[in-house]
Amino acid sequence: MSGVIHWAEAVGDDWSRVLAELTRAFAVSRASAQAEESFVYVVRQDDLLGRRGPGNAMVATGLLSAARTAALEGARKGWTVNIVAFDEGTDPEAVHAWAQRLLDSGDVTGELVHLGLGHLGKTLA
Amino acid sequence: MNGVVVVTGAARGIGRAVAEKLAETGPISVVGVDIAPELALSEHITPIQVDLTSPEGPSLVRETVEAAGAPLIGLVNNAGITRDARLVNMSDDHFAQVLEVNLGATFRLSAELAPLMSDGGSIVNIASRAYLGNFGQFNYSMSKGGVVGLTRALSLSLAPAVRVNAIAPGLISSEMSLAIPEEIRAKMVASIPLARMGTTEEIANTVWWLLTPLSSYITGEVIVVGGGRSLS
Repeated sequence: MSGVIHWAEAVGDDWSRVLAELTRAFAVSRASAQAEESFVYVVRQDDLLGRRGPGNAMVATGLLSAARTAALEGARKGWTVNIVAFDEGTDPEAVHAWAQRLLDSGDVTGELVHLGLGHLGKTLA
Repeated sequence: MNGVVVVTGAARGIGRAVAEKLAETGPISVVGVDIAPELALSEHITPIQVDLTSPEGPSLVRETVEAAGAPLIGLVNNAGITRDARLVNMSDDHFAQVLEVNLGATFRLSAELAPLMSDGGSIVNIASRAYLGNFGQFNYSMSKGGVVGLTRALSLSLAPAVRVNAIAPGLISSEMSLAIPEEIRAKMVASIPLARMGTTEEIANTVWWLLTPLSSYITGEVIVVGGGRSLS
């Protein structure tokens, strides 16, 4: 199944870079929604917990919330939205494979998949 | 508590309820951002009107705090707007406006005021239950999700001196929710286990609790105040 895998980029703590990164995700998401195509965001687990500073945290958790909202909208049209969070050191190929698996599934939406152990014992995202 | 608390979006709704709650429980000086002078009902509230998305906005708030001559013990980032649309129809402008006000202003004001916060101070960010996902609010949900991440990051970087938490209100009786068509609002209320909208005072009470030492071992958390709606 076709779809888009969107990797969040590191932004530092400058607001203009945060906004640019979130705007980039918005553009990709809206284009996918208009084409009725599924999409997957990829973020770092550390950023969901705020460990690499506010800029990266705002992007990661912003994307998670956006994925949940877009999933509600896509459910009516048959496209899905999911998010993969990976620990530092995770093989990028494994991340890509999981993202592709979510795109291909067609019946999983609004889910956060963690790759690694970094989420265990931590706050629910 | 004795010192200064800054409350943004204090002209109406949740922000106004927070400012009034703080003013009546003093001795606290409240810097109410966005309040016109004629709307400041208490002598304990210093009204200022600034555009927090402007380059000089946060520094104007800082100057007001410094002029107050008392320690900054709290910051309540409450200002927010909605520009709802389905994702497929959402405009670039409406996306940017919501992100700038709800997230950018919260980030920039927190960064400006954090160095002034006194030991034991507390920052409370008003997120929204929409951070869990809400149809037709891609921009709003993203912005409030970002507030959650910002809260977590600041709680780590400002510890142990300053605590940082977020509140995620559900459907609250305010101008924002009363703009929702009555028929839709009734359906929303029907899905709330506590069977009613929340009040701005109930959010103010939670903010007050997070600002005080009563919550002294809590930081980096999101407290959902939504009548159980996240379960039903």
